[in-house]
Amino acid sequence: MRGKRPGPENSEAEIQTNEGIAVNLLAQVLLNGVLLGGLYAIMALGLALVWGVLNIVNLAHGAFIMLGGYLAWYLFTGLGIDPFLGLPITAVAMFVLGYLVQRLLLNLIVRAPMFNTLLITFGIEVVITYVAQLAFSADFRTINPSYAGNNVSLGPVIIPVVRLMAFAAAIVLTFGMWVFLLKTRLGRAIRATAQNLVAARLYGIEPRHLYATTFGIGIGLAGMAGSLYGAVSQINPYIGATLTAKCFAISIIGGLDNPLGVIVGGIVLGVIESLALLYVGATFGDVASFGVLVAVLIVRPSGLLGRTA
Amino acid sequence: MLRIGASLAGCLLAASLFVPDTSSAADITLGASVQLTGPFANTGRYYKDAYEFAVDQINEKGGVKVGNQQSKLALKIYDNQSDVNLSVRQYTQLASQDKVNFLLGPFASNFAIADSAVSEKYRIPMVQGGGASDQIFSRKFKYIFGTLAPATDYFQSTVEMMTKLKPEPKNVALLYADDAFDVSVAEGTRPLLKKAGLTIALDERYTSNATDFNSLLARIRSANIDAVLVAGHETEILNFIRQAQSLSVSPKMYSFTVGVPSADFRKALGEDADFAFGMTAWLPSASLKDKWFGDAEQFAKAYKAKYGYEPDYHAASAAADVEAFAQAIEDAGSTDPQKVRDALTKLNFDSLYGTIAFAEDGQIRLPQTVIQIQGDEVVPIYGKQGFITQPKYPMPAWNARQTTGAGK
Repeated sequence: MRGKRPGPENSEAEIQTNEGIAVNLLAQVLLNGVLLGGLYAIMALGLALVWGVLNIVNLAHGAFIMLGGYLAWYLFTGLGIDPFLGLPITAVAMFVLGYLVQRLLLNLIVRAPMFNTLLITFGIEVVITYVAQLAFSADFRTINPSYAGNNVSLGPVIIPVVRLMAFAAAIVLTFGMWVFLLKTRLGRAIRATAQNLVAARLYGIEPRHLYATTFGIGIGLAGMAGSLYGAVSQINPYIGATLTAKCFAISIIGGLDNPLGVIVGGIVLGVIESLALLYVGATFGDVASFGVLVAVLIVRPSGLLGRTA
Repeated sequence: MLRIGASLAGCLLAASLFVPDTSSAADITLGASVQLTGPFANTGRYYKDAYEFAVDQINEKGGVKVGNQQSKLALKIYDNQSDVNLSVRQYTQLASQDKVNFLLGPFASNFAIADSAVSEKYRIPMVQGGGASDQIFSRKFKYIFGTLAPATDYFQSTVEMMTKLKPEPKNVALLYADDAFDVSVAEGTRPLLKKAGLTIALDERYTSNATDFNSLLARIRSANIDAVLVAGHETEILNFIRQAQSLSVSPKMYSFTVGVPSADFRKALGEDADFAFGMTAWLPSASLKDKWFGDAEQFAKAYKAKYGYEPDYHAASAAADVEAFAQAIEDAGSTDPQKVRDALTKLNFDSLYGTIAFAEDGQIRLPQTVIQIQGDEVVPIYGKQGFITQPKYPMPAWNARQTTGAGK
């Protein structure tokens, strides 16, 4: 066949059966899916928290992810701060922004019908997107640290380092959230408010501050997700809407009760999309992910890890 | 009742007759709806900037000679927010309410397909430099003209070059987005590859705006593919290259329909953009003489000085659209849409973009020059006459590349 190409590696590859190649390919694609799922999870974590506690479906969530991406980009290109080391800075800055948005804007409608919250968050999305274009132009940005393209190989499977780090960050943050909600006083207060507002108030919880804190945490998570997203993909002012849709699907698949559900939802979605791209065709990624969404809504309406009502 | 209706109609008629007198009589207005915001804003701005730039330059040189009068050009541009439906409404408004004289195009084939229906309906010629899909010109429309070479030919010079590379690439992956332009590119490329004796080992359509190419890249690796040809959008190609790097997928060559000639694309990828092939029908060469700008090199220099970024073929094509109207109006000696339309079909003049002459179907025919990113530069590699510069081929593996330091 290709006699001219030297090296033992190649003849080996030719001897290798088609089956072997297929297994390697499957392993690689599964791994890609899991790592993609980690990234998805960290993007959806904030949306699920805000939705679960405040009952606000934040349509601007993706736009906040985008803002976090730009912030990380400026930190990296302007100050040379690594996107992973810059995570706390992004988180704090975005927390403050989120806190203010909730305190000054969303608290006005937090107990209004769902439709109003959708309208106002949609409006915020539009404003952020167009202000971002004015401020940052429509050019693409990538956060490109020197190790961005590195990978480690595990037999025939190749693991991109940045995605692995993003995945690790997602796991750490998710467990952190879980512990925070379960064990800390503030976390308990958040859960209490979500479960029974009147009782929570009787115990001295100040809801306006608590709502703003929760939303701030959600936006802080979005900001961190944006930093990681910029390191593996690209940022422009218009990435928000599709990211919101993804996060929405993940939150429903995983369920809103438990941060661990989000990571399960993310990984399920990542793996199914990757497999669909491999076996069905490259135009079927979205069909597969929203197919799963519909299936979950039919079979387990409160999510894979959600309490069955 | 009938009388009132009739007199009302009379009034309206009278009013509409007076409109040309109230606006500054001499101006010839060109209207366009362009993507200034939304996901296509990045390329859309080339069109707005180049239209403005060409109109200003033509006016500065005295404007357009209509019969024995000199007229100035004017522009009316709307922002279609990257929304096809909105762009159709805006072109309808330009044609029916704003009564512009002629229409310039939007960016992208799917927009041009929809918007050209408006120019056809109102019988106002549209010269557009943003859509290359053959679908725009296959409907036998009489009022649509295009200054981008046919999408089906985009990879022609690339495939020709591939047969002359050593070692010759054997098998090819053809990936394309599911929109009008990219589907046309794929349809044109398949027979070219077959004729060149290359095997298409992977032929895959993907969703526009896809961000995840890991599965496709894994297949490219496992099929041991030599050459990858991608017809898509800049964001997708950016993700494709970054993910290829992170999975160490390094075919002998890859080539992309867009991105490579654009400065911001190269800036976003930094040195990871190195070795990527692309194509362009236009290079800012001093040999392309132009009546208004001197030549293409001067055009590019002045453009960059004014807008702060380098023009690519989108910008040159857009400027050529304005020039095509200026020339056709002078040839016709009139601003009558019919006469200008007829003059457009007969155009044949040298411009900064190349010789402007439309084929029977209304589309220009220009050869694509293969280009490659080598270091910081975009280098012309292969054209009509064969190799111009030696390509860097095969592409080195990712870990064998020399990097100049920590990121960019």
